[in-house]
This record gives sequence, structure tokens and C-alpha cells, in this order.
Amino acid sequence: MDSSTVKQAVMKQVLAEANMANARVLIEKLQENCFDKCIPKPGSSLSSGEQTCMTSCMEKYMAAWNQVNSAYIARLRQEQANNSH
Amino acid sequence: MSSSQINLENADLEKLNDKDKTELRQFLANEQQRSQIQAQTHSLTQICWNKCITGNIKNNKLDKGEEGCLANCVDRFLDMNFLTMKHLNSMRN
Repeated sequence: MDSSTVKQAVMKQVLAEANMANARVLIEKLQENCFDKCIPKPGSSLSSGEQTCMTSCMEKYMAAWNQVNSAYIARLRQEQANNSH
Repeated sequence: MSSSQINLENADLEKLNDKDKTELRQFLANEQQRSQIQAQTHSLTQICWNKCITGNIKNNKLDKGEEGCLANCVDRFLDMNFLTMKHLNSMRN
């Protein structure tokens, strides 16, 4: 392996691990929050209403994550611009 | 996942030349920042989900009100964060 191949391999591995770690936290949080919302009183099985709620809620949580992420990044940029002059 | 993964030995890392080392350092610094932002996003999403998504889940999209609420929630939480720091600082004096 030459230098460039080693570099690429390190980058690839770091990216894969970071993305996996982020996805893991997202799934954990989404399950917690959607379980709270959709299955307030666990019965003897998941009803079809609960299942529909769960899948909608998952997508909604991801949309909320993206919305919060953009708002947070916009604010960071703004603060950075304010501090630079 | 494991089949596409290249196994890196310590000896391989010694093959990195200075230019690639610099590039890697920069890459890792960027990745670290990206993960910090993601971690903060997870915690803000939790806080703002509780504040803004109060009704039952009717569909898979955020409605206009919820979208606006989430954006305000992030901004006001950060305002509060700065205010707290400022006040704590003033209490020291």
C-alpha cells in the first residue's frame, strides 16, 4: 500500500464509523420518543394503528432532526460572522 | 461491511508521507467538528421535540407550525445558553 491508499483507507473507515455511531444514537432516540408517543399503554401485541404511528413518527423524528441541524448550523455560522468583526 | 474494510496495520500508517499526514489531520479535525455538531443536534432535537411536537402523530411530515417552532426552539435555547454563560460570568465578579 502506498501513502495515498493508506490515507484513503483511514478516511473511509473513520467516515463509516462516525456515520454508524450517529445513526445508532438517532435510532435510539427515535425509538424512545416514538414509543412514548405511539404506544402509551402497551397491549398484548402491536396494533396496526400503533404500527402506522410508529412509522410516521420515525420519519417525522428524522425530519425534526434535519430541521434542528440546519437551524443549529445557521446559528453557528451567524455567531461566527458576528465574532469575526 | 467487513469485506470492504481494509485492514490497516500500524506499519501501514508509517507509509504516510507528510502531505498525506497533513491532509489526514485536517480531515480528522473536520470529522471531529461534524460529530460534535451531530451530538449537539441530538440533544437539541430531544429538547425541541418535547416542546414542539405536542399532538398525536397524524402523518410523517412536520407541519408549518412545527417547523417554525423547531427553528425558534433552537435559537431561543442557544440565546438562553449565552445568557446563562454571561450571567454566571457576571456572578463571579
